[in-house]
Amino acid sequence: MAVFTDVVCPFCGCLCDDLEITVKGNEIKGAKNACAISRSKFMSHRENRIMTPTVKGKEASLEEAVEAAAKALASAKRPLVYGLSSTECGAIARCVELAEITGGVVDNTSSVCHGPTILALQQVGESKASLGEVKNRADLVAFWGSNPPAAHIRHFARYSVTPKGLYVPEGRKGRYVVNVDVRETPTSRVADQFIKVDHGGDFELLLALRAAVRGTEITEDVSGVPAEEINALAKRMKEAKMGIVFFGLGLTQSDGRHMNIDAAVGLVAELNHHTKFVLTPMRGHYNVAGANTVTTWQSGYPYAVDFARGYPRYNPGEYSAVDMLAKGEPDAAIIVASDPAATFPADAAKHLARIPTITLEQKVTPTTMLSEVVIPVATAGIEVEGTAYRMDGFSLRLSKVVEPHGGVKSDREVLDMIVERVKALKEDA
Amino acid sequence: MKELMLTPKKLPDLPLEAEAITPDSVAGKTLKEVKSLPVYVGNTVQKLGDYFDVKGETAETPSDQLVAIQGECGNVKYIGAGMTAGRLIVEGCVGMHAGAEMEGGELSITGSASNWAGAEMKGGLLRIQGDAGHQLGAAYRGSPEGMTGGVIVVGGDVGLEAGAFMRRGMLIIQGDADSFLGVHMNGGEIFVFGNVARRLGAEAKGNGGFIACFGGVESILPTYVYDTTFRPDFLKLYLRQLRDQLGVEAAGEYLDASFRRYRGDIAVGGTAEILIAEP
Repeated sequence: MAVFTDVVCPFCGCLCDDLEITVKGNEIKGAKNACAISRSKFMSHRENRIMTPTVKGKEASLEEAVEAAAKALASAKRPLVYGLSSTECGAIARCVELAEITGGVVDNTSSVCHGPTILALQQVGESKASLGEVKNRADLVAFWGSNPPAAHIRHFARYSVTPKGLYVPEGRKGRYVVNVDVRETPTSRVADQFIKVDHGGDFELLLALRAAVRGTEITEDVSGVPAEEINALAKRMKEAKMGIVFFGLGLTQSDGRHMNIDAAVGLVAELNHHTKFVLTPMRGHYNVAGANTVTTWQSGYPYAVDFARGYPRYNPGEYSAVDMLAKGEPDAAIIVASDPAATFPADAAKHLARIPTITLEQKVTPTTMLSEVVIPVATAGIEVEGTAYRMDGFSLRLSKVVEPHGGVKSDREVLDMIVERVKALKEDA
Repeated sequence: MKELMLTPKKLPDLPLEAEAITPDSVAGKTLKEVKSLPVYVGNTVQKLGDYFDVKGETAETPSDQLVAIQGECGNVKYIGAGMTAGRLIVEGCVGMHAGAEMEGGELSITGSASNWAGAEMKGGLLRIQGDAGHQLGAAYRGSPEGMTGGVIVVGGDVGLEAGAFMRRGMLIIQGDADSFLGVHMNGGEIFVFGNVARRLGAEAKGNGGFIACFGGVESILPTYVYDTTFRPDFLKLYLRQLRDQLGVEAAGEYLDASFRRYRGDIAVGGTAEILIAEP
């Protein structure tokens, strides 16, 4: 029986790094400190696995599948590389390389979650801090359009609400927790103050708060929130020793999108004239921040990057996967560590079934079911080592606790094989 | 002016990227050279002549060059992008980035334009008789300035974020404007004769910039403050110019109108003005 300590959880953007995984033989027997989702990921990682590569539904050897994948990608005029967010950084770097050598487009799942956040940060900048700073210093914590008990289960306990910090020795009692949302959630029941904002009214409320922080008294209700509540919250924010806004898809995917984040960044920037204030997106997939980071250090842009001209170009809405698929542009696609058939709009998902789609995946998913080539891979963070980026932009090392199920290769190894074959095919041509 | 005619043959299913279609890139070239100008389809480089019949004559300099496209180019991107002089007329629709970063001359589109038309325009005249998509005349992602000069006249409606990060120049919309018109505006003038959706002028710093609305506004942001109702002389001058020099007939109807003035965006300490014509 082996016990692995300080194991990083490869599920959500919290990347909790205090797991204790017990392994007997090559089987995981226990996951201490893990939340319900994390435990399920570790304990059930062998279930529903794809056992052999397939080409057009028929079992194939790994080499045959790689050959089929490379041929489809090398001959495509508009190949798409998509996914990336639930694997380690080495594999992501290979994805960017693959897009570059095929003259294709590389996009990651942030284009359908926190993409608007990135647009806003490119527009107006960002004031950020590590989750450790939040734990040790923050005495005002706002959750805006996010609900950690459902999506980031240990966030409250490890980073934001209950932990005792260096300058917040009382823990929960030392923090004032604000929740802004369109409806009550488990977060609002934990919060000291719940502010119910009208659907699609976040932008106006953020602007009004910013104006109040600048010293303008708000005299009329904004987005269903009473004026006195806005003025009082602005005062409280200014008086905090350190404040943080954690925001989720309630802000990025509601009416206003990147402009909501633009306004939130503006509010936080304004508050920094009075005190220390930061904001952090509640990133979903455990390494979606890594997908942005790696793509940026390799191409200069975080997602929706087009290499058709040989150099990177960036334009979400034009080169993002959903938009391209909905317009029927890609003539081949490779999906790594993602399930777009389950999550994309029907028009976009349907196009994946019309073209040669290659999927690298551990488990049977709607995407593998419509794919022409399916290659099983090992699970990063359980069967493969690697690096991942936490929601606050810190990199952590993922562990390997068991050997890959059925001896399959990692995303990185399979992508290396595909890249090598594509290069050879391109040279021959 | 010498006229060069381009007629689309069978266009590809993928978008065709054709920044080669400007007076600048055809002037001084032979027809053969024009036909072999590069255009891009997916990750391949093709020739302009593969997709367009090329007829007519080329001029010595771009300013004497007229380029006329007869036919639908809804899936052709970058038509007229970066042009500095001459005239380019499209009888039909155009794809994304038409007239983006243009510096001079006139680009006239009889149909509709897709997203990013006139993005980061520096000078010249862009006319779109139909509708325009999103981000008309806007700043590209992460760029601090959108339009820095020139005039855009749209006959129909426009999408989201028209005139975003506008610094100078003029944007005239004869139909309706969607949300976030003139967001982050920091100078320049916007005129809308149709209805304007909410959140116009959000986070506008001002710098002399204004949005004049003649056909009503869905709502004004809480961070814009009403200060007066007046008949500004300067607007009369603008409206005459729109009517007489740019052919915007509707402008003539508001010469004596009075306007409600809102100032903001106070969330950013801005002094931009939203002027709303009294019915």
